[in-house]
Amino acid sequence: MNRDLSLLIGILVSLFAVLLLWIVYITLSAETGPRLATLALEQLPESGVSHPVTAVLLNYRAYDTLLELAVLLAALLGIWSLGPAPAGFQLAGPALAVMARWIVPLAILTGGYLLWVGGHAPGGAFQAGALLGSAGVILRLAGHPRAGLPSEEAQRWLVVAGVGVFVLIGLLLAALGYGFLTYPKAGAKWLILLIETAATLAIGATLAAAYVGGRPLGAAPPSTPTPTEDARA
Amino acid sequence: MTSTSLLFLPVAVPLLGALLVTAFPRTSSILGVTAALASSAGGLWVTAQTWLHGDLGSVLGGWGLPLGIGLAADGLSAALLAMSSLVGLGISVYAIGYFAGSERCTHFWPLWLLLWASLNGVFLAADLFNLYVMLELLGLSAAALGALTGSREAIAANLRYLLVGLLGSITYLLAVALLYAGYGTLDIGLLSERLQPSPLAATALVLMIAGLALKAALFPMHFWLPPAHANAPAPVSAALSALVVKTAFYLILRLWLDLFPAIADAAAAFVLGALGAGAVLWGSWRALRAQRLKLLAAYSTVAQIGYLFLFLPLIQATPAGAARDDLIAACVLMAITHGFAKAGFFLAAGLVQQKAGHDRIDELGGAAQSMPATTFSIALAGAALIGLPPSGSFVSKWVMIGGAFTTGQWWWLIVIAAGTGLAAAYIFRVLGHAFGLEPTPRCFLTNARAELPAFLLAATSGVLLGLGAGPLWSLLGLSGGHA
Repeated sequence: MNRDLSLLIGILVSLFAVLLLWIVYITLSAETGPRLATLALEQLPESGVSHPVTAVLLNYRAYDTLLELAVLLAALLGIWSLGPAPAGFQLAGPALAVMARWIVPLAILTGGYLLWVGGHAPGGAFQAGALLGSAGVILRLAGHPRAGLPSEEAQRWLVVAGVGVFVLIGLLLAALGYGFLTYPKAGAKWLILLIETAATLAIGATLAAAYVGGRPLGAAPPSTPTPTEDARA
Repeated sequence: MTSTSLLFLPVAVPLLGALLVTAFPRTSSILGVTAALASSAGGLWVTAQTWLHGDLGSVLGGWGLPLGIGLAADGLSAALLAMSSLVGLGISVYAIGYFAGSERCTHFWPLWLLLWASLNGVFLAADLFNLYVMLELLGLSAAALGALTGSREAIAANLRYLLVGLLGSITYLLAVALLYAGYGTLDIGLLSERLQPSPLAATALVLMIAGLALKAALFPMHFWLPPAHANAPAPVSAALSALVVKTAFYLILRLWLDLFPAIADAAAAFVLGALGAGAVLWGSWRALRAQRLKLLAAYSTVAQIGYLFLFLPLIQATPAGAARDDLIAACVLMAITHGFAKAGFFLAAGLVQQKAGHDRIDELGGAAQSMPATTFSIALAGAALIGLPPSGSFVSKWVMIGGAFTTGQWWWLIVIAAGTGLAAAYIFRVLGHAFGLEPTPRCFLTNARAELPAFLLAATSGVLLGLGAGPLWSLLGLSGGHA
């Protein structure tokens, strides 16, 4: 790009940033009305969880989270529509293989912990799912062609599990007369945990499958020899 | 169970359908079309309930308004919901045949149903952040669908579409963050009560409208649209052009009327109207010059979106009352008419492309003649794009012209007239090639002495007598009103 043009764009963007900062400054220095945070904390005992972020994500604004999970699904379906996954990376050297053998189980264990702890401390389905996904990334880097995921058919069930459990619970509650995604107070904790568990699995599978970068390879290992196998032969 | 508590159905039904077709890829056509029927029924049911009972609203989660997310259906939402339901059903039925025997079928259905859920979600949302999530889902599934042909051009165009869409969403989200910082709520109804003219509100208005105008492909931010829409498979082009860009315009209209009435002023409306005028002229001109049928349709979308923005300065200048309501209704009618017309046009163009193996307009020669119904569909859709009576856009343009006269903004009339003339030219260019089996002559006039009188007489009847009818009244010695 032309150097003068980039300079001009830089100046304009800086001016815009200054304008935004000025607006935020005068807004925050003025008296602001009632905030949602106080309300969210007040209602926390009714929400079934004791951590405000989880209460916002899974209860007050559960509809947004349902659709965020659908966004993840759409992203993965978009990746799958572009074609089959490239062949796996070459098998890991001894150091990486040992590290993967240690880190992957730890990541899965920590994911389970984060899922459970999300009810009362920072954590929850997205963090736990991200850890599961990173375990998949490590496996893929270490040479596993499907990043530790099962066959295509099972992957399809895994990636729809999050939105599926979420929307079915929502519809069931509506059918029972509570209203869509309106949890009864007694069952809120367990419904949220059920949704979060399914969401964790779905997020983990989706992120790992997205990293694989294409439609899953068939149930059987690919018949064409991968470069690694050639190298070893 | 009351109708209010079932407002989520138009979102939940296609969403559930998308999950089913993802899990059962082998039966995706059957499952997909069943889900499409159910989604369509859900959307039309909410439209009917709004028709019968007036505005509907509900808050999900049982937490009441500032904390929970509101859903709302008023006349504007219901009208667009009816459009997405009917156009969506048409596209779904068409897609069965279009993708038959192709592996793309298993990719099309889940993404299309997710797209449909997000369309309905936008129409029903009453919460600014929820709208952002819906726009994300919409943009992502639309870009993935557009790249389904798998060609290099399609993927490049839709990657650009995805990035432009993200830029639009982020700009919108920045405005949402500003408004939340200033007013502490995300609900459109509550926010509009608290909103005061301030630098913050003005910046939020500009950011929101700019982000959404980018998504609506308002001139000169339309650069991403023609390649993305022209290279997508026909059912996807129809959905993108007829429905997806319309949601961004719907949001601009919704925010303009419901959220920012205290902030939006005539100058802002004029800027949007001027950009709309640019879109009408540039889009129509490029449509006339387009070599390919689908590119023509895509540029025509740019022009038609421009007409919708021409309504804003007229609405802004008209005091509340029957005249303003007429203008708003005409604007929505124009959007819906274009939705149906452009969907029909793209689906028919897809049939022509499949039959002829290409969609180069100059070489259509008779290819369409063997498909009378398809050619007739293009002609009918074309009549609506031009705005010929008795199409919906004729009524809209009529009201728009009336509004321009009443508010004294005569300059928009030139744009409307020029745009209509260009639209007629590009539609008849297609129809002319579709009917002509013979190679067409190189020059316009082949026998000037014989042809000119006929041409001039026809031009007099078609153009001169309409536009220059005023002197007839004085000639006849009659007073009385004409426009």
